[in-house]
Amino acid sequence: MPDLVLQARGVAKAFAAPSGRLAVLADVSLEVFSGESVSIRGSSGSGKTTLLQLLGGLDEPDVGEVRVLAPGLGLVRPRTSLGRGVGFVFQNYQLMPELTALENVSLAARIAGASAGPAESAARELLAQVGLANRLEHLPARLSGGECQRVAIARALVNRPSVILADEPTGNLDERTGVEIMDLLLGVVAERGAALILVTHSREFAERAGRRFVLSGGVLSPA
Amino acid sequence: MPWFLHLALRQLFPPGKRFPAFATVSILGVGLGVASLLVVQTVMNGFGEEHRLRIRESFGDCVIVGSSPLARPDTLVAELRKNKEVEAATAYAEGPGLLRQGDFSGVAAVRGIDPADARQPARQYVMAGNFDDLDDGRVVLGAGLARILRVNVGDHIELWSPAMTERAEKGKAPLPADLVVCAIVRTGFTEVDDRAALIPLRRFREIWNLGPRAHGVILRLKNPSDAPAVAGRLGVGHPDLRFVPWQDIKKNFLEAIRFEKTMLFFLMFIITLVASFSIGSTLFSAVIRRSREIGVLVSLGSGRWQLVGLFGVQGLLIGALGTTLGFLLTWVMLFFRENILGSINAVFGDGDMVANVYQFSKVPLHYDISDFIIAAFFTLVTTTVAGLVPALWAAGRKPSEAMRDA
Ligand SMILES: Nc1ncnc2c1ncn2[C@@H]1O[C@H](COP(=O)(O)OP(=O)(O)O)[C@@H](O)[C@H]1O
Ligand SMILES: [Mg+2]
Repeated sequence: MPDLVLQARGVAKAFAAPSGRLAVLADVSLEVFSGESVSIRGSSGSGKTTLLQLLGGLDEPDVGEVRVLAPGLGLVRPRTSLGRGVGFVFQNYQLMPELTALENVSLAARIAGASAGPAESAARELLAQVGLANRLEHLPARLSGGECQRVAIARALVNRPSVILADEPTGNLDERTGVEIMDLLLGVVAERGAALILVTHSREFAERAGRRFVLSGGVLSPA
Repeated sequence: MPWFLHLALRQLFPPGKRFPAFATVSILGVGLGVASLLVVQTVMNGFGEEHRLRIRESFGDCVIVGSSPLARPDTLVAELRKNKEVEAATAYAEGPGLLRQGDFSGVAAVRGIDPADARQPARQYVMAGNFDDLDDGRVVLGAGLARILRVNVGDHIELWSPAMTERAEKGKAPLPADLVVCAIVRTGFTEVDDRAALIPLRRFREIWNLGPRAHGVILRLKNPSDAPAVAGRLGVGHPDLRFVPWQDIKKNFLEAIRFEKTMLFFLMFIITLVASFSIGSTLFSAVIRRSREIGVLVSLGSGRWQLVGLFGVQGLLIGALGTTLGFLLTWVMLFFRENILGSINAVFGDGDMVANVYQFSKVPLHYDISDFIIAAFFTLVTTTVAGLVPALWAAGRKPSEAMRDA
């Protein structure tokens, strides 16, 4: 029986809007186990990003609760284990423009408390794993979109999180690169033993996940 | 090095850019502010020091005067010389005299001194002639006075004292004393150079009908900064005399300089303050531009205070580098001060402004380490606050919202 790495129960979230309250998530429950991949599909504005932010602890739900497995801490609220329980991969890569590929990845390890030496060797290892061993000293501006997303994937994995939350990771990439990144993401995440929650509006990519959901009307339903 | 310090350095000085715009402009702004502050303070110190020096040269470390001329100055001098806090004591007399050479005449502050006194301060300012030639038939003149009278070393001048009228026969004009200029001194202090005439005390007594009397005694002390206390101790046995330490001579004037210096500190500090405001506003826009990056840092587990550190340190670094640059600029500007002043005078006319208004022919300087420490302290505080305000604001935002901002 695999471990439970992420659990959301009865999560609801609404935002203040000019026309009153905008209920984005009505009642979302989800359980994710170690090593599995889950896809969430939904049209633009359906609340996918909002859900990932709640799962990753960047925001708090109005109702309900979220728990993630943080190494050494057990199941905790994601807020308290930022950077360790989950790793984020964003659509726009969100790398630090002034840092090299190597520094971007080791920065994540440094923030999580690693000292400079171990952080750098962990970063080298992961960048080699995502195929960027010869791009270590490149600044993001000198990397292609696909290469930037590889750096971002390495960064998300460097602290050995139990879940990777990927928010439309291929949204800014051309079709072929998108496929490459999907292959890499599914491969590397599985290799590392982490679970993957993949948000996408591509039916094709969504199909590749072990379990598939559709977010619509603020509720999550199996696809 | 903590990660946020590393990142702050990279954000301030992005790799591959030799002169990053924000850092360069901000550091220059702070540097100029600090430099103008310190230039003004150092020159003000120079004025103060120069005045103190002149006061001590003219009146010694302590001057002893009475309500009437000292009846037996020689016994007083002999007594004071025995005191171990006193290094030297000489009697002097002074008074206004009328000088004339041919068609030119001028009013002089004539002083009777001991020509044998090797420590007489005027000796170090001789620009022509020989101070040692001073005897009863000769006079030492200030350079400005010599110019007014159109005389050089070896020329004759005539001197009238107010006392001469007493001796003149009824109905006859008094006869002036005839003196040969033996030396000309230039102290750089206009008030002295334009008026001073030195003759031996013995001759002064004759011309001013003083007999054995003198107007006062000038003391040099072992420890001049202690003059007020020493003056108090020395004065105990002489209730009829006033022992005035040099610090009390022209006290109001020295106070005015000090006050002026403090006022100028605050005025000049406004420049640094303005520079800090622009640092603050630039950091604010940097924080907004980096909203998403801040969100990412939070998602990576960065704490609130590390974010504050990330941006606060940038203000501090700019303050520190700007202060250093300001120190360097201060030194350079003061090193070339005469050239700078010369060019300003050349452009805006009226060459001798400093000499005429401030009594000095050169811009005086006095570096005071405490000015530098105070300037550095205030600058670092304001630039750090300028960085901290946007930093605190950034750290207080919700990461989910920060990431939605462009
Ligand atoms: N902070 C916020 N304030 C107000 N409305 C928001 C906020 N965040 C998201 N929304 C709204 O919630 C809805 C869902 O947004 P989002 O989760 O980004 O959708 P998706 O990622 O599925 O495209 C959108 O209509 C969006 O405008
Ligand atoms: Mg989205």
